[in-house]
Amino acid sequence: MTRHKLELIGLRKEYDDGNVVAVDGIDLAVESGETIALLGPSGCGKSTTLNMIVGLEEPTGGDIHIDGKSVVGRPPGKRNIGLVFQDYAVFTHMTVAKNLSFGLEVSGLPRSEINRRVGEAAELLGLTDLLQEKATRLGGSQLQRVAIGRTLVTKPAILLLDEPLSNLEAEARQAMRNELRRLQNEIGLTIVYVTHDQTEALSLANRIAVMSAGKIRQFDASGTVYNEPAHTFVASFLGSPAMNLVRGELRRDGQALAFKSGALTVPLPARFDAMAPADQAPVTLGIRPENLRIGQPGDSGLISTVSVVEPRGPEAALTVEAANTDFAVVVPSAARPEPGEEVSLQFPEDSLVLFSGETDRNLALPHNVEEAA
Amino acid sequence: MSDRPLTLPLALLLGLVTVVTLFPVFWILMTAIKPPTDWNAVPAIWVPSEPTLVNFQTLFDPEALGVYGVGGVSEAATQAVFGSLLASIVATALSVGIGLAAAIALSRYSGGGRATPLIILSGRMFPPAAIAVPFVIIFSTIGLIDTYFGLIAIYIAVTLPFSTWMLKSFVDEVPKEVEEAAMLDGLTRVRAHLTVTIPLIKGGLFATTLFIFILNWSEFLFALVLSYTTIETIPVRLAKYVTATAGTLYGVQAALAVLAMVPLVIAGFLIQNHLARGMTFGAVKR
Repeated sequence: MTRHKLELIGLRKEYDDGNVVAVDGIDLAVESGETIALLGPSGCGKSTTLNMIVGLEEPTGGDIHIDGKSVVGRPPGKRNIGLVFQDYAVFTHMTVAKNLSFGLEVSGLPRSEINRRVGEAAELLGLTDLLQEKATRLGGSQLQRVAIGRTLVTKPAILLLDEPLSNLEAEARQAMRNELRRLQNEIGLTIVYVTHDQTEALSLANRIAVMSAGKIRQFDASGTVYNEPAHTFVASFLGSPAMNLVRGELRRDGQALAFKSGALTVPLPARFDAMAPADQAPVTLGIRPENLRIGQPGDSGLISTVSVVEPRGPEAALTVEAANTDFAVVVPSAARPEPGEEVSLQFPEDSLVLFSGETDRNLALPHNVEEAA
Repeated sequence: MSDRPLTLPLALLLGLVTVVTLFPVFWILMTAIKPPTDWNAVPAIWVPSEPTLVNFQTLFDPEALGVYGVGGVSEAATQAVFGSLLASIVATALSVGIGLAAAIALSRYSGGGRATPLIILSGRMFPPAAIAVPFVIIFSTIGLIDTYFGLIAIYIAVTLPFSTWMLKSFVDEVPKEVEEAAMLDGLTRVRAHLTVTIPLIKGGLFATTLFIFILNWSEFLFALVLSYTTIETIPVRLAKYVTATAGTLYGVQAALAVLAMVPLVIAGFLIQNHLARGMTFGAVKR
């Protein structure tokens, strides 16, 4: 049996005597040296999950293994985990050097070792010149470095980052993102990110666990999560604009398979035949805005009207109305139509995704995280 | 701090406020060095022509005013100064200590539920005079009247709501993540409070201590009704400087008041940086 670096097993957290379920039995296995992101909107349970991993909250049920051993019940300082807080939580009444050495002094390391590690971390994070500064004098990205450095000196088995970039200015954010990627490569840490920002998750993580309502909806490689969402929530949470989702039903007309929603009918390719449920079963059709094509009114496709055009530099986000349904479409700026223009809307077969209307799960992916649990 | 330049109207306004606030202080200082003949003079004498220290002398030697023909000053103020120092220092230390523990409990552990802070404050929701008489009766029954123990107990009880509430607002300002970070570094929750939370609210702690000390130092009502012969405090002593022959001894009262101001002024100067910081610190960039 392979030993996972971090494993959550049926982890559950209830508040208020079970009336509020913040984390609803999640399973997650993180491999050594991997960077994963816990991605979800606020209130989805990702911060509670994080708090349980570090030991600031005790789970109601389930187990947490680090290097194959359960850590539930161990105090936060004894789990060999580093956490970088969203608001940095730097000790402002101390100098940078004191902040960096704090954890090491608590653990009673010899002074020479403390100095060596503090020097190393300061070097790595470009803090050497600031060591004697009081932390109150530092700016946002410097505080962030101190927060990371303070954690790294203790050589944690896993580094947890809680919304690490959300308090930084756009410019500093890009720089810090690059820096985090560099750290990742240089010291090969196992990193768990908690974020609500899909760009951050997609750009930094090897794998992404998308959470909503206390459950992990999908845990897959970044590309897979984007291209093959396992759940309508994942489809609607990732992408900007998000995936178009239309509720409707399946129609089997002899050999031909089609999706129907009111006046809208989209023919479906044969690959859905095997997996698709019976005639008239409720399903949700999904397609990414950048996969939809628009053509001249005479071309094949649905006759539709462009209602909104939002230029975004190299591309433009359109709202196109076809058969009383609004679709978000992203096109290159050069091919941008005018508002009010009539176009034909084409649904490339390869890009269509079908979800069950009952469970909201991707019909093409029978095995996903939650069913496997 | 704003960077707006000090304009003339602003300077005048500031000057006016300063004059109004400092006038009583000026008057007391002047009265303290006036000989008895100048105390009640009409028209008022602003600055005495023959300043004297006899009023201060009288505080420790009741016979000193005899040279001006004023007699009958019963007692020295030594005991009152000692009593005020003892009661105020002990009561302030305990009130702030207990208040700090309560503030952390309320802020971090939501101790006792949401209503607790209000219940604590309710102890201050009626005038002290309303409870003074019942306290005299209760205290004489249990033998606490005319004892420093009893006076200190009352002082702690009446200042605790203030110290708790003030300190709670400072603890609330410290993000709990800072304590959690310390816990992740291996400290227990209690040690995290000691090494992180309390140093971070140092300014607030100083401000609260000074405020509570002023409350205790200037308290009059309880000290008056609870003291007979064994205990005395400065405010009570102040009220006793009345003689049958010379009436109220304004100069002696002023001298004692000046003496009473000294420790507060010194403390205020020593911690004034902290007082300003106590109101403006913030540990987290939001």
